[in-house]
Amino acid sequence: MSDALVAVREALLATPLSAIALTLAAYLAALWAVERLGRPGWCPAVLLAALLVAATLWGLSIDVADYRRGADWLMLLLGPATVALGVPLYQQLPHIRTLWKPLALSLPPAAALASCYSLALAWALGASPEVLASLAPKSVTAPIALGIVEELGGSVPLLMGGLLLTGVMATLAVSLLAPALGIRDHRILGFALGVNGHAIGTVRAFEMSPAAGAFASLGMSLTGILTALCLPLAWRLLGL
Amino acid sequence: MAVLRGFLWLTGVWLAGETLVVLLDLPVSAGVVGMLLMTILLMLRIGRLDDIAAAGQPLIGLLAMLIMPGVVGVFFVADDFAGQWLAVAVALVVGTLASVLTTLLLMRRCMPAEPDADAPPESRS
Repeated sequence: MSDALVAVREALLATPLSAIALTLAAYLAALWAVERLGRPGWCPAVLLAALLVAATLWGLSIDVADYRRGADWLMLLLGPATVALGVPLYQQLPHIRTLWKPLALSLPPAAALASCYSLALAWALGASPEVLASLAPKSVTAPIALGIVEELGGSVPLLMGGLLLTGVMATLAVSLLAPALGIRDHRILGFALGVNGHAIGTVRAFEMSPAAGAFASLGMSLTGILTALCLPLAWRLLGL
Repeated sequence: MAVLRGFLWLTGVWLAGETLVVLLDLPVSAGVVGMLLMTILLMLRIGRLDDIAAAGQPLIGLLAMLIMPGVVGVFFVADDFAGQWLAVAVALVVGTLASVLTTLLLMRRCMPAEPDADAPPESRS
């Protein structure tokens, strides 16, 4: 009997379908739970879903490497999904045309500082080059950040954790700092959410208003493009 | 079939991005190059926006789920970065607070006043 169970376990682990089913189930369960909790800003569904998968793997003593091999089939879709981000970018072009001046003035320093503050802090606290490389694209939307981290030689899991925390912190920071500074312009709030908090911030911005959401996606795409084009070059020039 | 045609466009443009990255030895990922190519193609009215949006919107909606297998890994690397977690946490929390503050200040300085509409009519009260 137990031999048969072992054989079944082996067979199920050998197919990528079990990893895909586990991922889908955990994500849907997390969406349901987060909806129930009233969508708290500090707990994005991905985080809960990832915890569920991690707990399942640990409970069934499945190796993460085995899970990753199967789930890679899902992550393959990240390629076309990243290309698809060109569609909302194209739809934002009217915004870019009318506001190109303030965008051109504020985006490059904002996007650069989003990365530099954390790098400086981590470096000052003695982080290794690998950790620095994993934190550098922390404000960039995940599909683009994954590509950057591969270029820089960072750790993907660490980057992912950093992305989550950054998104949650950016959402929190905007809701704390904006009232203190007397900023109520939804375009500015959305932009700050998109530039600093990538997809997690953008989701929050869309909850505020369509205008905030549009500027968040604009900030997110432009930050992603700018960082993807400049960071690997800067890294090479600094000889890291 | 709109979804299939759109998906073919997305995959084709990704492959074109990969080709450019290899040929020109670009330090950028194929996805980003593909995204820029996609925007340029749409600006040039090449490719049907309806088809591409039909395949693209669901994919963008699924982004959070697609990155999940990567997120799971973070719970299993604790030992690899032992002794660096404080640096990581401080960098992320303080760094993000600082960068949000700068963006807000920068934008407040650069952004022209809102045309009208959705600004809350604070002065009326």
